[in-house]
Amino acid sequence: MNPSVESPEYPPELARLPPGRHGLPREFVSRNQRERLIAGLAEAVAENGYAGTTIAHITRHAAVSRRTFYEHFSSKDECFVAAYDSVMTELNRRVGEAFEQEEEWSSGVRAGLATMLQFLTDEPHLARLSMVEALVAGPVVIERYDAAIQSLVPYFEAGREGRSDEVLAGLSPTTEEALVGGIVSLISRRIFADRTAELQSLLPDLVEFALTPYLGSAEAAKIARS
Amino acid sequence: MAQKSTRRPLPGRQPLSREFIAHHQRVRIIHGLALEVSEKGYRAVTIADIVKRAGIARNTFYENFSSKEDCFRAAQQYAMSSALEQVVANAGEIDDWPRRVEAGLSAFLAYVAREPALSRTCMVEALAAGPESVRYYEESLQAFVSLFKLGRDVSPYGEALPETLEEALIGGVFWILYQRLWLKEPDLIEELLPELVEFTLAPYLGPEAARKFTGRKADSPE
Repeated sequence: MNPSVESPEYPPELARLPPGRHGLPREFVSRNQRERLIAGLAEAVAENGYAGTTIAHITRHAAVSRRTFYEHFSSKDECFVAAYDSVMTELNRRVGEAFEQEEEWSSGVRAGLATMLQFLTDEPHLARLSMVEALVAGPVVIERYDAAIQSLVPYFEAGREGRSDEVLAGLSPTTEEALVGGIVSLISRRIFADRTAELQSLLPDLVEFALTPYLGSAEAAKIARS
Repeated sequence: MAQKSTRRPLPGRQPLSREFIAHHQRVRIIHGLALEVSEKGYRAVTIADIVKRAGIARNTFYENFSSKEDCFRAAQQYAMSSALEQVVANAGEIDDWPRRVEAGLSAFLAYVAREPALSRTCMVEALAAGPESVRYYEESLQAFVSLFKLGRDVSPYGEALPETLEEALIGGVFWILYQRLWLKEPDLIEELLPELVEFTLAPYLGPEAARKFTGRKADSPE
């Protein structure tokens, strides 16, 4: 990629600041640089994989100096953690909003999953960064990755509310964890195989898989395929 | 640990054949790698770490493996084939599908509980070790896909089940195991058997039949 051309992936608020004396407050410049570096890392990692990414790759994509990099981060790992956290914060916010907007729990699950798949499809670089490269980036990120996945458990647990004793009896304590693990593995295996574009076609299967323990196969299939 | 040295009868004259020693050494190195990787992550581990952990000479490492990647692949193959061997030995002969799933998962959990470092290395770090490792990992999962898929023949929902069901179930089972390994609770892994069997059987047989089969006591409702 030619670093002198403004990359179209940058949202307008991340546009390079005009050169020279711009009179912007220091804090704004610094924040903007940090965000550019994070976006630059995502691009560099998409291009070279985490292991193959160097700080030079990141600064080139971000169009900032090496010195600026070190003003914000002490290492590539630290920059990756910041990038990972910002992706997950955004993804969680969107999923949470989509879920909350629905009245029915089952529609909320469907909306949350649809939003997640949409985000990952729209942002293939960030999808790869958060679902694949995170596992390469070492123990610190893996710990965060685990926490991020486990943070989805409550959405499913909410499905226990108001169910009959008979249904509840059929739900083992690890049901939700297993559902989340299954869903994430379907998603991340496709991202890994560079089949991110197929993610949205997974929606009915994922919805059915998630709802079945609470609603039974027939009802879950009906909602999933509607 | 790995006493899988009896694959071939030892030759009569020497109590420890050269082959036995070579195999033993290889497995020692593999375990050294697994312990290091499960503590530091694949990327951070060096050959010096592995050599030190296994208590062998650097030369010995290079007599067995050309690189860290090579050693990792060997560890993966060793762990996956040992685990699958035990799954097949325990479950292969059983015709009744739910019992077959139970026997298969039981053997698998026993392996994971016995080899936590090696299991974690294979279940998580495979992605870190490059595309060839991932391919090998995916192929190994197919064994479970086939085992679970047999459930479609006995399921009243049969063909209506989503195509990705088996993949999702395996992902779920592995995630639970991985969580327990991460929390360093290998002792609790075998206790998970009824839940995991029930989780696997439920989509095929319905939750009630699945629970009846495992006989798991329901948590008392609040």
